[in-house]
Amino acid sequence: MLAFRYRDKGTVIHKLNPFCKLLWVVSVLVFALIFDHPVYLLLLFLSTMPVIIAATVRNEWLSVMKLTLYLCIAIVIINMMLSYHGSHVLLEAPFRIPVMGTPTVTLEAMVFGLAMSLRLLAIISAFAVLTFTIHPDDLMLSMIKMKLPYKSVLVTSLSTRFIPTLVDDLECISDVQRSRGLELDKGKLPQRIKSRMSIMIPLLCNALDRAVQVSEAMESLAFGSGTKRTFYKEIRMSRVDVVTLTLGFFTIGFGIFMCLSGFGDYQYYPTLEVISMGGLEWSVLSLLICLLLSVVMLAFVKRSSDLD
Amino acid sequence: MIRIENLTFRYTGAEKPALRDVNLEVGDGEFVLITGPSGGGKSSLCRCLNGLIPHFYGGKIGGRVEVQGLNVMRHSTKELATRVGMIFQDPENQLVAMDVERQIAFGLENIASPRDLIARRIEESLDTLGIADLRRRPVQELSGGEKQKIVIASVLALHPDILVLDEPTSELDPKGAEEVLGTIERLNDELGITVILIEHRLDRVVHLVDRLVILHEGRVAVDGTPRQVLADEKITRIGVGIPPIIRLVQGMRSGGINMDKTPLTVKEGRSMLESVFQNAKRATLRETKTLNGNPIMNMDRLWYAYANGVTALKNISLTIREGEFVAVMGRNASGKTTLVKHINGLLKPTKGTVNVAGIDTREATIAELAREVGFVFQNPNDHLFADTVEEEIAFTLKNLGFKGAEIALRIDEILERFNLVPHRHQYPRALSGGEKQRVALASVIAARPRILILDEPTRGMEYKLKNELMGFLDEYRNQGNAVVLVTHDVETVAEHADRVILLSEGKVVVDNIKREVLSKALLFSPQINRLVQAFEKYGVRGDILTADEALEIVT
Repeated sequence: MLAFRYRDKGTVIHKLNPFCKLLWVVSVLVFALIFDHPVYLLLLFLSTMPVIIAATVRNEWLSVMKLTLYLCIAIVIINMMLSYHGSHVLLEAPFRIPVMGTPTVTLEAMVFGLAMSLRLLAIISAFAVLTFTIHPDDLMLSMIKMKLPYKSVLVTSLSTRFIPTLVDDLECISDVQRSRGLELDKGKLPQRIKSRMSIMIPLLCNALDRAVQVSEAMESLAFGSGTKRTFYKEIRMSRVDVVTLTLGFFTIGFGIFMCLSGFGDYQYYPTLEVISMGGLEWSVLSLLICLLLSVVMLAFVKRSSDLD
Repeated sequence: MIRIENLTFRYTGAEKPALRDVNLEVGDGEFVLITGPSGGGKSSLCRCLNGLIPHFYGGKIGGRVEVQGLNVMRHSTKELATRVGMIFQDPENQLVAMDVERQIAFGLENIASPRDLIARRIEESLDTLGIADLRRRPVQELSGGEKQKIVIASVLALHPDILVLDEPTSELDPKGAEEVLGTIERLNDELGITVILIEHRLDRVVHLVDRLVILHEGRVAVDGTPRQVLADEKITRIGVGIPPIIRLVQGMRSGGINMDKTPLTVKEGRSMLESVFQNAKRATLRETKTLNGNPIMNMDRLWYAYANGVTALKNISLTIREGEFVAVMGRNASGKTTLVKHINGLLKPTKGTVNVAGIDTREATIAELAREVGFVFQNPNDHLFADTVEEEIAFTLKNLGFKGAEIALRIDEILERFNLVPHRHQYPRALSGGEKQRVALASVIAARPRILILDEPTRGMEYKLKNELMGFLDEYRNQGNAVVLVTHDVETVAEHADRVILLSEGKVVVDNIKREVLSKALLFSPQINRLVQAFEKYGVRGDILTADEALEIVT
C-alpha cells in the first residue's frame, strides 16, 4: 500500500505541467470509452507504456497492474458465465434456467470479456501515471484553476493526504486485535464480519477524532475567513505547455472525428467480426497514437529548452 | 495581554463544568507553563484563548476573556488567528498540505495575503525555526519533531503575539520533544512572543518559564513562579508530576532538614544540596532481585529483515525470566518495537529462533501465543471497540477459547481489580483517558499472560495515571509474571524496572541490571543520578537512581 503514493522522482513526466498530464489522462479515458475495436484498445494500452518508463514508476505500476489483472480475470469469467449470446458455443450446460435460458459458454463472450479488460487496463494504467507523478497539491491547484469550488477540492485533497495515515492506523489496530487473539479467517461468515468490526470500529472512530482535530487546527490558521483566498503557488504556463495543450485538444477532437467516421467500431455479438483493417485505417490509427504520445512526450522538448 | 475574568464553561452534554471561575492575567512576553491532572481544564482554557470555545465547541459560557484587547466571545477564531497561534498535540492532524512551503503558506493564503508577502514570511519562518533544509522534503517522510516544527512555522507565519501550545511534545520522542521545547523557549526569549504551554514533564521546562499555573478541577489551584509553586504543599495532593530533584527536597524538608531554597535544575541542585550530601550516610542500597527466575522467553541469534530489505534486528540472543521487569530502551528506529513484536509472534524471525514457554513462535499462531504473551499498545483507542467494558474484556477471553463460567469469573475479578465495576455496562470509548487505559490493560491481563509487553504506554501520560499504571505493573510482576516495557522514559525505568536492554541499530548494546545501565551515563541517567554524581567525592554512591534512595542516605 505504501508504494501507492506520489514521490517526486524529478523526471520530465513529474515536472510536466499538471494540465497537460490531466489532458492526456482524459484523452486516454475518452478513447478507451469510444472505441470498441480490440486492436485500438490494445494499442491504447500499449501507448501508456513509454510514459510509465519515462516516469520511472515501473515497480509501482506493476503492483497496480497486478491488482487490476485479478479484476480482469473476474470480468472475463463473469462475462462468460452470464452472457449466453454468441454463436460459437464452447460449452453447454445440460439444464435450463427459467428466463435466462440454457447456460452456455461462448467464444464471443470470452473475447468480449478480454476486450473489456483491455479497456480497463488502459484506463487504470493512465490514471496510475497521474497518481504517481502529480503532486497532490498541484492536482488540487489545477482543479481550482478549472473553477471547481475550493472547499470541495480541499476536502478531496485532505482525504488523499490522510490515506497513508489511515493505512498506518489500520496496521496498528490489526496488530492490537491479533495480539488479543483475534483470528480473522476463523469461523463462519457472521463470525468473520464480527471480527472485522473489532478493527473497523477503532479505525473509523479514530478517523473521526482526527477529523475534529484537523478542523480545529485549520480554524486556528484562519481557514474560512470571509475574504477571497490567495494562492501562494501557481501553475505556470510556458509556451511549450500552450502548444501541448492545443495539441491535446486537437488529439481528442481527431479521435472523436475518427469514431464518428466509423473507425474503431467492432461487433462482438452474435458472431465475432473478422479483424480486417485496411492501410488507411492503420495509418489513421498510428497517427492517433502518435498524437496521443506527443502530448506527454513534448515534455522532453521542454527540458532542452529549459537548458537554453 | 490576556485577561480572563470569572470564566466558567460547560461543554454541551457534560455533567460538570470544565472551567469554574477562572481568573488569570498574562502580561506581554511572559512564558507561562500550565499543568495539572487530566480533566483539570487545561485544554479547555487554551481553547478559550483563540475562540475555539465558544465558537467551535458549543456550551454554556460565563465570564470574560480578552486577548490583546479583543473580546473572544465576539471575535471568531479566524479573526483571532493573527493574534493567537494554536499548536496541538499531534502534528499529523495539523498538517493540511503535503509540502512544507504550502503548509506554511496556508494561514496566509486564508487571510488573502499577497504572494510576495507570503514568500517573505515563508523564508522568515523557516529561518526562525532553523528548518530551511526541510523545505523540499515531502512532509510524510519527516520525523514527528520535524513535523511539529513545521506546524509551529505555519502558525508563526501569521505573526501572532501569543503562542498557545497544548501538549506539543506528547506525541514525540525525547529528541524531538527536546528540540521543540528549545524552539519554543527561543521564540519567547528572542522574539518576545507570549507563550502559554501545557506540559506534563515539568523537569524538561520548569527552569525556562516565568510562571507556573496548576489547574485542578477547572480552577486555578496554584499560580506563581516555579519556585513558589513547587514549594507549595498543595501540589503533591493534587498529583502533579514533580521533578525528582524537587521530590528529594520535599522529602528532606519533611525529614527535618532545613532547606530554604528549591533547586529547579541539576546544576542548581548540585550547589544547593552540597552541604547536605557532605554528611551523608554510607547506606547500602536495597539491591534489585538477582535474575534467577525460570526462563519463559528465549531468543537465539535472532535476525529480522523487513520486506523492503532493511535489517531491523541483528543477531539478538536474550532470555526473559519469570518475575522480571525488563525495560527495552533505545533511540527511535533502533528496533525496540520490532524486537518485542517477535515475542508474541506478530513478527516471525528471518533467521534464528524465538521460544516462548516452550513453543517455537514460527510454529504457533499469534492467537495461540496470546495465552502466554499479552501486548498492550500505546493508544488505548486502538484497543476499544465493544459496546460495553464487560464485552471488551470478554472479547479477548472468547478469542482465546475460554468458556462461559470461566469468562464471567475472570471478568468479575478483573473489573474489581482495575476499579472498573461502576463502568461495567458503559461504552468504553466514552470513558476518560485513564479509564480507557485501564480497560485496555484489563482486556489483555484478563487472559493472565505470563509475559506482559507494553509499547510506550506512558508517552504523553500525566503523572497520576502513570503512577497508577506502574502500580498495576509492579503488582503483576510480583505475581511471578514477566513485564517488558518499551519506553523512552528514564525516570520510570529508574523507579520500576529491574533490568534494562539498550538497543541501537538493531543490536543489543547493553543488557544488564538497571543500576549498571542507568548510572553515570551522562544525559541518559535519571535526574537524581546526575545530581549525586557530583557528590561521589564525599563517598556518596554514584549509582543512586531515585529520590527515595537518595533520601535514605541523607535523613
